[in-house]
Amino acid sequence: MSLESVIFAVLGIVAVSGGIVTVFARDVSRMAMGLGAFLVAVAGFFVYWGATFLGIVQLFVYIGGVLVLMIFAIMLVHRSPDGSPTIESRHDVAAIAVAGGLFFMVVTALRGVVPDSVDQGITSGPAELNEAFLGPMLTHFEMGGVLLLAVLVAVVVILGGDER
Amino acid sequence: MSGLAWGALYGLAAGLVIAVAALIGVWGERKVAGRIQMRIGPQELGPFGLLQTLADTLKLVLKEDITPAAADVRIFRIAPLIVFAPIAMSFVIIPYASGFAPLDTSVGILFFMAVPAISVIGVLLAGWSSRNTYATIGGLRAAAQMISYELPRTLSILPFVLLAGSMRPLDIMDEWRWWWIPLTFIAFVVYFISSIAEVNRGPFDLPEAESELVAGYFADYSGIRWAIFMMAEYGGMVAAALFGAVFWFGGYLHLPGAFGVIMLIAMATLLAIGMIWVKWTFPRMRPDQLMGTAWKVLTPMALVQLVIIGVVIPWL
Repeated sequence: MSLESVIFAVLGIVAVSGGIVTVFARDVSRMAMGLGAFLVAVAGFFVYWGATFLGIVQLFVYIGGVLVLMIFAIMLVHRSPDGSPTIESRHDVAAIAVAGGLFFMVVTALRGVVPDSVDQGITSGPAELNEAFLGPMLTHFEMGGVLLLAVLVAVVVILGGDER
Repeated sequence: MSGLAWGALYGLAAGLVIAVAALIGVWGERKVAGRIQMRIGPQELGPFGLLQTLADTLKLVLKEDITPAAADVRIFRIAPLIVFAPIAMSFVIIPYASGFAPLDTSVGILFFMAVPAISVIGVLLAGWSSRNTYATIGGLRAAAQMISYELPRTLSILPFVLLAGSMRPLDIMDEWRWWWIPLTFIAFVVYFISSIAEVNRGPFDLPEAESELVAGYFADYSGIRWAIFMMAEYGGMVAAALFGAVFWFGGYLHLPGAFGVIMLIAMATLLAIGMIWVKWTFPRMRPDQLMGTAWKVLTPMALVQLVIIGVVIPWL
């Protein structure tokens, strides 16, 4: 087993166990920690395949921003005095079946796309991204910006609607 | 496996460097604070009291590691490490000598900004898991403050990315010219202030305000875990000083080998003394002043600096 596959295995284990903790933990702060582990592992996968820029942005936006906001919200929530609730569901079997089916679909769909090893990885450092975004993808990039602006305007309209 | 071995070696070296830097930092802080308040500071143990912090560390390590009965034990125990590890990681991208940075990556600048941001989570979890009102308030204040000041801090580094056309620290150092110092002065002011806020030091120490919150998010910690929080704070200060010395003052100034490293350490020491000086000179800010400084003063200043650089670049 080479060093690369060891790193890949560790990242995979962290990602999967983080996901499991996120779903099954009964304490919200534990869930947040699980989600954090999962997001770090995803950033690790990006770096592993050579997309260092994307990996760092993943850390910056999802760990430093989104997850912190989530924990911030959790801290403001009232803590139940009689412990955490139990998880009950009447759809256990169906949910497992759907999850398994989805997993199969994702694996079959992605098998041809995801590179087998680091050597065939995608190189998308800042220079390559720069060339793409300011070159052939410029229109798409600008359209993304316009879309985000429209979303912001929509939020202002929705939130400010009552005042008038 | 040589990559992994080198990584482990760097990790060990970084841990040692941060520990020693924290020891010297605490000693320096007490000495500078003493002089500012017309006292002498530590002087009994060793020359100039240098061994005082070592004795304090021994005391901290030997103290009982108390976990409050109401605390969320696992998160409480792991939180100091989540605060410390990212700070330790941020040391790897700093170019210490001509052509040498432990981790030479094309996204170095972003790495230095993004990775320490993880420690905010540790601070929040520490405050949350203590199940203590003071700790929770401290954690909330810390998170709001650290996220707000990340923005001007990141903006203040962008001038170098524009000037050098690269985010690789070694590329920026190759391009570095002396007249960048006056050109990026506004950015330096923004960086210096927001770095102090980012490591929760005075006058931005609202999260751990002693007179209001006892010690804020680490009020319930004792012994070695408390020491890890302290090491994270001093490590963050040293990393910020090193990073500032490298980019705003040219770091090793293209001097060969050890001379460059000594130059860099000397400049970083001056910056760190500046941070200590600020802490013991200014009174603690109010929360509204804190947020106002970040959003209404520092962020516009950083944007003005960016515009200046953008206008000047075609004539360079």
